[in-house]
Amino acid sequence: MGQGVRTALPMIVAEELSCDWRRVQVLQADLDPKYGEQLTGGSGSVRDSYSNLRRAGAAAREMLLSAAAQWNVPRSECRAEYSLVTHAPTQRKLAFEQLFAAASALQPPADPPLKNPSDFVLIGKSTRRTDCPAKIAGAAQFGLDTRLPGMLVASVERSPVYGGTPRRFNADEVKSAPHVRAVIEVKPVHLTHQFGETSGPGSRNYSCSGVAVVADSTWATMQARKLLKVEWNEPPSASETTAGLREKMLRLASEPGTVIRNDGDFDKAQAASANKIEAVYEVPFLAHATMEPVNCTAHVRGDSCELWAPTQIPGAAAESVASALGIPRERVKVHVTFIGGGFGRRLIQDYAVEAALISRDTGTPVQVVWSREDDIRHDFYRPAACHVLQAGLDTQGQLVSWRHRGSSPSIETFYNGTGISPQAAAQVDSLDFPALFIPNFRLEFAVAESGMPLGYWRSVDASGNQFVLSSFFDEAAHTAGRDPVEFLLATFGPARKIPVRSGETLDVGRRREVIELAAEKAGWHKTLSAGRGRGIAAAFGWGSYVAQVAEVTCDAKKGALRVDRIVCAVDCGTAVNPLSVKAQMEGAINFGLAQALKSAITVSRGRVEQSNFHDYEVLRMSDAPPVIEVHIVPSAESPGGCGEPGVPAAAPALGNAIFAASGKRIRRLPIRAADLRPA
Amino acid sequence: MPISFTLNGKAQSVDVSPDMPLLWVLRDTLNMTGTKFGCGMALCGACTVHINGEATRSCITPVSSVAGKKITTIEGLSADGSHPVQQAWMEEDVPQCGYCQSGQIMSAVALLSKKPNPTDTDIDDAMSGNICRCGTYQRIRKAIHRAASMQAGKAKSAA
Repeated sequence: MGQGVRTALPMIVAEELSCDWRRVQVLQADLDPKYGEQLTGGSGSVRDSYSNLRRAGAAAREMLLSAAAQWNVPRSECRAEYSLVTHAPTQRKLAFEQLFAAASALQPPADPPLKNPSDFVLIGKSTRRTDCPAKIAGAAQFGLDTRLPGMLVASVERSPVYGGTPRRFNADEVKSAPHVRAVIEVKPVHLTHQFGETSGPGSRNYSCSGVAVVADSTWATMQARKLLKVEWNEPPSASETTAGLREKMLRLASEPGTVIRNDGDFDKAQAASANKIEAVYEVPFLAHATMEPVNCTAHVRGDSCELWAPTQIPGAAAESVASALGIPRERVKVHVTFIGGGFGRRLIQDYAVEAALISRDTGTPVQVVWSREDDIRHDFYRPAACHVLQAGLDTQGQLVSWRHRGSSPSIETFYNGTGISPQAAAQVDSLDFPALFIPNFRLEFAVAESGMPLGYWRSVDASGNQFVLSSFFDEAAHTAGRDPVEFLLATFGPARKIPVRSGETLDVGRRREVIELAAEKAGWHKTLSAGRGRGIAAAFGWGSYVAQVAEVTCDAKKGALRVDRIVCAVDCGTAVNPLSVKAQMEGAINFGLAQALKSAITVSRGRVEQSNFHDYEVLRMSDAPPVIEVHIVPSAESPGGCGEPGVPAAAPALGNAIFAASGKRIRRLPIRAADLRPA
Repeated sequence: MPISFTLNGKAQSVDVSPDMPLLWVLRDTLNMTGTKFGCGMALCGACTVHINGEATRSCITPVSSVAGKKITTIEGLSADGSHPVQQAWMEEDVPQCGYCQSGQIMSAVALLSKKPNPTDTDIDDAMSGNICRCGTYQRIRKAIHRAASMQAGKAKSAA
C-alpha cells in the first residue's frame, strides 16, 4: 500500500539467496494459506517477516548449492552470488535457473546458515522501489482498476447514522433509471475477523446497512443513486453531537477514572511540589481518507466467491466474506491488488462484504465503488479524545509528580465488546513516556460512549496521545525554565535498559540517541530570528525510536504559520532499505502535520458533517514543509517498524515550535489561526 | 450521437451520455484506468489529464465539452515511462502507494510546459490541487526541479 514492502521484503530474500538484484522480479501472491493472513499493518511487514524471509532465502541458497553437487566437487568449494553458483577452483559457473529443477527436488534445510550482516550487499543499501515503473506509467492495477467481463458497478447509500437500517426506499423508481440493473438492500454483517480481535458480546463492528444501486457503469450508478430516497430507522446515537461528546469526555477526564498505572503517591507529591501546572488537551475524530476511495470487486458463483480486494488483510477479507455468505473460507479466492493508501482503513473488511453480498444477488461480477463522500462519512474513525493533565516540579525544576486522565471512545470496546476489562478498553499506554521516569505518576482512563464506528488510524492511540504527552512535557520544561532537549535527556537519565512487561526492555540509550541526533542535526542551540522557533518531540514504538525537531515561523498578528523544516532522527534497528525508511518518515511526518494543521471530523445528529476534501482538509503541497531531513541511526539490531513511528512526534514537535516562536501553547488539534493570535 | 476527440494522438469516438465526465469515459468506456478517481469534485487532482495541453480535472469535465479536442492521459505521456518527468519521478523514487501519481505527473508536465524552470512557489501554486495522502510532496518538488534540468539539458544538446 505504499510502504515499499514490495522492495524491502524481496531484498531480504534476495540477500540470503544471493540473487542479482537487477534480475529480481516481484509478483504479488494471491491469498494462500501457506502465507498466513498476508496482513500489512501495525508497521509489521518487515519487522515480522525479517527472520523468516532470511531463513527462506538461505534455505533456497543452500538447496542450489547442494544441487550444484552435479560437478562432483566438495560443496564447500561452491559459492552463490549474483544468481550464479560458482565453483571457485575451476571457475565453473551455473546460473540459478539451471539448478532449479535439481534444487527443487531436495528437502529444504531446517536450519540454514544465515549470512553475517557484515557481508550484506543488499540489506542496508538504498534501493529504488520495484513498483515505481508501473506507478509512473499509470499501469499499476489498484482495486478500483479491476475490469471483468460482465462486471456491474454498485454504489451504496448507507445509513447516515452508523447502525441505522433502511425502513423503506423507492426501489422501483430507481430501477427504471437508465442503465440500472438492480436496487438491493445490503444488510449489516458482523465483521468477525479483524486485526487480532475476538469480537465478544456488545462489539459493534458491523458493515454499514444500506441500499445498493447496481448499474452498467460507475457514472450510471452514481447518477441513479441521486434518485434514491431512503427512510431510515435510526439508532439512539442519532442524537450524538461533537459538542455533547466533548462535554462528556471533559467531565470524565476531570474525574477519577480506571487506574492504568500508579507509581508513588501523586496527590501527596503534587501537593508538596514547588511549581504546579495543569492543562486540558483535545483531539478530534479523524478519517483515513486514502486517495483510492474504498472499493472491492466480487464475483459470487454458487458456494464460491472470488474477490479483487485492495485490503490490508486478505485473510480477513476471505474470513468476513465467507461468514457473510455462509460458505467455507476455502471457497473464497482473494486476488490482492495494489492499494491506494491504507493507513489502517483497509484493515476492516466491510467493503469486501458489501461487494460479495451484492454480487450474490446480481449473479454477476460487481465492483462496489465508494464516492469520496461515502468514504469520509462512513469510515472507522480515529477516536476523539480529551485529556486533563497535572504535573508538579520541585525547587530544582525536576518533575516529581504527573497525573494524566484521558477519556475517549474505545476502539477496543468497539471491536471486542463491552465485556472486556476497563484496562483493556483504555486508549492509553501504561508505558508511554514519561511513565517510569517520574516517581509519582498516575495514569487514568475513562471510556466515553459514542455511536461512532472506530478504527485504527496510522499510529493508532499514539497519534493523539503523543501530541498530548510531548506538548505537556514541553510545558513542564518551560515552567522549569529549562531547555526542552536538556530536560528530556535529564528526565530519561543515563543510557540503560529497564525491564518492563514480560520479556520487553526499554532501551534508554536508543531513546537518548535519537533525541541527541535530531537536536544536533537541527542545530538546536543556534539562535533563530524573532517569530521563529524550534520544538522537539520523541516517540517510541513498533520497535523503533524517533525524534523530530520542527522549525517554524509564526506571524501571531495574522494568525499565520509556516513550517520551515522538520529534522527527524530514526533508529529502526537494521534499516533494510534506507531509501524507503526515509520515505516512510517523510510521509509519516506529512501525515502527522495534516492532523496538526488540517483535519477534523465532527458529528451532528449522529451524522458526520464532512464529506470531501473541501471540508475534510488534508495536507497539500503548499502546506508541506520545504525540507524534511531524515537521519538514520546505524544499527545492527533487528528491524523495527517504519510505517507508523514517524507520525506521533510531528504534531507535538510543531506545537512546541509554535510555543518557542510565539509563546502560544497549542492544546487542541487541528491548529486554527485563532490559536496563534495573542489572547 | 458519438463524440469524437483525439486521445493520446489517435482519433477516438465514444457513444455515451454527453454529461458523462471524461474520467468515466476513460476508465469505464475505454478501460484506460491510469487516470484515477479520487473525489469527483476537482478537489484532489487524481484525475488530471491534459486537454489541448492544459491540466484539467477530468472528473468534472463532461465528455461533450472535449469534442474535437486533444486529450493526453498518463498512458499517452510516453510508451515506456521515458518522459523526463516520469524519469525524474523514478530518480527521486517519488511514489509510495502511487495512486495519486498519474495526476501529479500530469500536473507537473503541464507546469513545466509553461514554466520550464519553476521556483518552489511556482510548484506550490501549480501542484496544490493534487493531494498525496502518503506525503510525497518533498520528493515531488525535487523531481520537478530534476525534470526541469533534464529538459533544459535536452534542449541544450538539441540546440
